Amino acid sequence: MESIGINPQLLVAFLINFLILFGLLTAVLYKPILKMLDERQAKIKESLEQAEKIKEQTSRSEEQIKAAIEAARKEGQVIIAQASQIADKIKEEAKEGARKEADIIINKAKDEIKLERDKSIADLRTEFANLTVLAAEKVIKESVDAKKHRKLIDDVLEESKTFKQN
Amino acid sequence: MNKLGCSSRLGVLLGIFILALLLTAFVIGPLGSRLLNIQVPSYLQVGKPHVQLPSEAVFHVGGFTITNTLLSSWITILILFLVFFAATRKMKVIPGRLQSFAEVVVEGMYNFIQGVSGEKNARIFLPVVGTIFLYVITNAWLALIPVWGTIGFWEHGEEGAIFVPLLRAANTDINLTLSIALFAFCFIEILGMTKIGPLKYIDGFFNFGVLRDAFVGLFKGKIKQFFTNLANGFLNIFIGILEIVSHFIRIISFTFRLFGNMTAGEILLMVMTFLVPFVAAVPFYGLETLVGFLQAMIFAGLTLVFGVLAVTPHHEEGAEEHH
Repeated sequence: MESIGINPQLLVAFLINFLILFGLLTAVLYKPILKMLDERQAKIKESLEQAEKIKEQTSRSEEQIKAAIEAARKEGQVIIAQASQIADKIKEEAKEGARKEADIIINKAKDEIKLERDKSIADLRTEFANLTVLAAEKVIKESVDAKKHRKLIDDVLEESKTFKQN
Repeated sequence: MNKLGCSSRLGVLLGIFILALLLTAFVIGPLGSRLLNIQVPSYLQVGKPHVQLPSEAVFHVGGFTITNTLLSSWITILILFLVFFAATRKMKVIPGRLQSFAEVVVEGMYNFIQGVSGEKNARIFLPVVGTIFLYVITNAWLALIPVWGTIGFWEHGEEGAIFVPLLRAANTDINLTLSIALFAFCFIEILGMTKIGPLKYIDGFFNFGVLRDAFVGLFKGKIKQFFTNLANGFLNIFIGILEIVSHFIRIISFTFRLFGNMTAGEILLMVMTFLVPFVAAVPFYGLETLVGFLQAMIFAGLTLVFGVLAVTPHHEEGAEEHH
């Protein structure tokens, strides 16, 4: 034992040395480093989870935006369709109104023309009758009673009217 | 191109220089000078390697003797403490270089331990296994620095003048290897007892259950089973005694494996330096670097494996072995 150097005193010294190193390294190396590694692991885990969450949120909001856009497009199409319908209706109405007004105007014009014509005819007739009376007076030179005369002419005219109609 | 040519020329010059140095070393070394019959001046001679297994006393403090190995183990402890204290003094989430180094060391050891012992026990094993590894490897590598084994004084004893180095590889002191081995042994046994329970742990060696079964069988009148169980029970007790002996033998194997390897390495380096003073020892320094790492790994790894064996319940392990 002596020849390879086993020495109880030295052995105890080395044992104490080792225990001191054990304590020192535990305090200065293993504990803080493991704590830091744990902390970092927790942090990484947390941030990964957060990233996942954000990703999910993003995709969800993207989907929402897409849905909103789709809805807006549909709505727009509906509005356009409605508008074009309304425009058609308005056009149709305008057309109808114009036609009606035109009809009214034409009718009014026709009536007026007719009235005018009738008036002209009546005027012509009276003129003609007066002329005839004047002529007849001139011809027969005889002053017939105006009233009698008038009746006579009217009779003739009546006759002529019936004649015309025949 | 020019730069490359220059550096390659430098390399050739360096090679020639090293070769010349090797040749000179060979000639002035004892091998060549004897072979070529040259008288070498004494200042060029390297002292004859003197192999001494017990560490040498350097100081005496009161009744206590401080040996050169104890001194270098203190230096090891101081260096380890200072380096890792500096590394972990201001811990940051984003580590600096020194903290990264400490983290790599701890994480590497932790992952290794975790691979062997599993997640649950890794934190119990890390301080013990890690300290053994760091202590042994630092002792081994520090001893490769030229200051170790070269600075010292001459002691005039009855065998004439003996060179006593101030610092000597701490791993070459059997007291050191024995102290780590004892620590590892105590750690393993205490861990086994606390983790499994003292009675169960001791029962794990002897497997008394078979013997109990034998007597229960006898009570129930199963004579044939009683004899086979009785034989098995005594066999188990015998195996248990063997196993306990093997646990104690671990101390010796731990001690002498490290002591033997490190002492052999030191003697190898000494002899090589004596035979061919320059250059020739360099590959052996590389080898010793590897050996230092390996021995640290083996010591720590075996402690870990024995610890894991102590923590796993014996019955399951036994059942696995029998099938």
